[in-house]
Amino acid sequence: MSTTTQDAAVAQVPAVRVARPSGLRRVGRGLRWFARRSPMSAFWGLIAAAIVVIAIAAPAIAPYDPLKSDFRAMTKPPSERHYFGSDQIGRDTLSRMIHGSRASLTVAIGAVVLGTTLGAFWGLACGYFGGRFDLISQRVIEFLQSFPDLILAMAIAMALGAGMGTVIVAIAITRISFGGRVIRAVVLSLKEMSYVEAARGLGASHLRIMAQHILPQCIAPYLILATAHLGVAIIIEASLGFLGVGIPPPTPTWGNMLADSLNAGLIPPWWLVLFPGAAITLTVLAFNLLGDGIRDALDPRLRGPV
Amino acid sequence: MHSYILRRLALGALAVIGVSVVVFVVLRVLPGDPLVAIFGPEGFTKLSEAERARYMADLGLSDPLPVQYFHWVHDIIRGNLGHSFFRAESVAEMIARRAPLTAEIALISVVLSWLVGIPVAVISALRPNSMGDNVARFLSILFLAVPGFWFGMLIVLGLLFMFGYRAPLANVALFDDPWANLQIVIGPAVVLGLGQAAYIARMARSSLLEVIREDFIRTARAKGLNRKMVVALHALPNALLPVITLSGILLGFVLAGSIPVERAFGTPGLGYAMAIAVSERDVFVMQNLVFLYAVVFVLLNIVVDLIAAWLDPRIRYA
Repeated sequence: MSTTTQDAAVAQVPAVRVARPSGLRRVGRGLRWFARRSPMSAFWGLIAAAIVVIAIAAPAIAPYDPLKSDFRAMTKPPSERHYFGSDQIGRDTLSRMIHGSRASLTVAIGAVVLGTTLGAFWGLACGYFGGRFDLISQRVIEFLQSFPDLILAMAIAMALGAGMGTVIVAIAITRISFGGRVIRAVVLSLKEMSYVEAARGLGASHLRIMAQHILPQCIAPYLILATAHLGVAIIIEASLGFLGVGIPPPTPTWGNMLADSLNAGLIPPWWLVLFPGAAITLTVLAFNLLGDGIRDALDPRLRGPV
Repeated sequence: MHSYILRRLALGALAVIGVSVVVFVVLRVLPGDPLVAIFGPEGFTKLSEAERARYMADLGLSDPLPVQYFHWVHDIIRGNLGHSFFRAESVAEMIARRAPLTAEIALISVVLSWLVGIPVAVISALRPNSMGDNVARFLSILFLAVPGFWFGMLIVLGLLFMFGYRAPLANVALFDDPWANLQIVIGPAVVLGLGQAAYIARMARSSLLEVIREDFIRTARAKGLNRKMVVALHALPNALLPVITLSGILLGFVLAGSIPVERAFGTPGLGYAMAIAVSERDVFVMQNLVFLYAVVFVLLNIVVDLIAAWLDPRIRYA
């Protein structure tokens, strides 16, 4: 949803030449350029990177086993033993949050990459071939967009049954239409470019034109779109967990933790509510702002005077 | 205008048919076995072969899929929305009792989002990069990242701790007791309203900044009109069109968002019913509710598109 405004902007991104980094030095120079140009985005990029590192190194960082219950510490507020308190069966909130980042990031990245990629190839085919295939595809995409994202994801996750794979697929399906629309628009404008016509004139096959001449130009809009959707995907994943159709317990996810807190008594203990939600907010904020920075960096029209 | 209305309605009707097919495919065809979805994997293994066959026949699930589809559509047209697998109340009764609350929440939240989002956008756009603009932009970016249901849980907890206050949990109709009714709907409406306001403020700000650069704004300033009048009479009306369209798209955000948000507040609306249905894996209730939500979303967007076309001839004749 949050992406509707950005998509309009993404759709108009003209052909952008993506510099092909030849080695680590190129990447390093690119990152330094990015940091100088927009320090704020670089800062949030660092936070996003830190969250990714925490997710990867979760077992090493977490002070406790996220699944192990301690009956001497049931529903205890934050203390020196448990910095963020413990839940109703004595599991450490901080450890569960740290492990929860794994589920969130895996689902968000998996779903966005899968959905946007599928959508992008579909959009590529639609834009390139046009005709009846395009007409029918556009209607199907319209049908998919007739559902609010979360409702479609809920229905699919429920139908497929619980599990990380199904949550990824459910969220990915809601992302397809965005990739399809944006890439189709890009391809439609690229198709008329003289260098594409030249390639056609030289007798290049459809496959060769698409792979060699059109696809590389779609990378920038694809990256912009994918990073813009990470935040939404994280929120949908958390909502699915909160509604009980996400990754099944006892796997710690931020949404599951918030759902659990409602079962922790008549009044949910504040530390079980505050911390997991703060983790969601911080992660989404970091990815959204990093995404904004990437969009600004890759879209030449938004670049200020050098 | 007439041809535009007709075209839009035809597309809408097509979308409703498409939506019904998608719902049917997702909720009836995708699950390998609907009984697994209803009873859960463990419950399913406990059923004997004969019981399974009987349940399938009772639920009309042994018919070929296209027959099932037409049965379902036929039932909906007749207004027969079926029963929950777990409750006595029919789905139609449940909708009649609960939907008004959700509709109130949606309406109040949309009004709120405009009341908050537009003034914030005007302040931002009049002084870009000023202190106020930066604060407004930061808040809107923050609200895009806050999950509504979590914000709702915090509000419930905060009110409880600070004032010992809890909104009434029983369903009260607007006309029976307006005050109690307002206390029920205001929480979810504020959460969803602020969530939308963030999008609205962002969109309205960039739209205003674009319009302010146009020639007719300079002309209006040149003829001596003061800044406030120019913004109120010339810039704002032109800048609001994309905001209206966005507001229509955001209705999806409200409809879907109200599900976890009502769950967080314990609001006895349709969203909460959907949250219960999905956690109980009540396939038949879900099927009808998902369809209902999608159809409402399609219809509301037709209304929004027609409003936009009525306001802007460029859309009508495009």
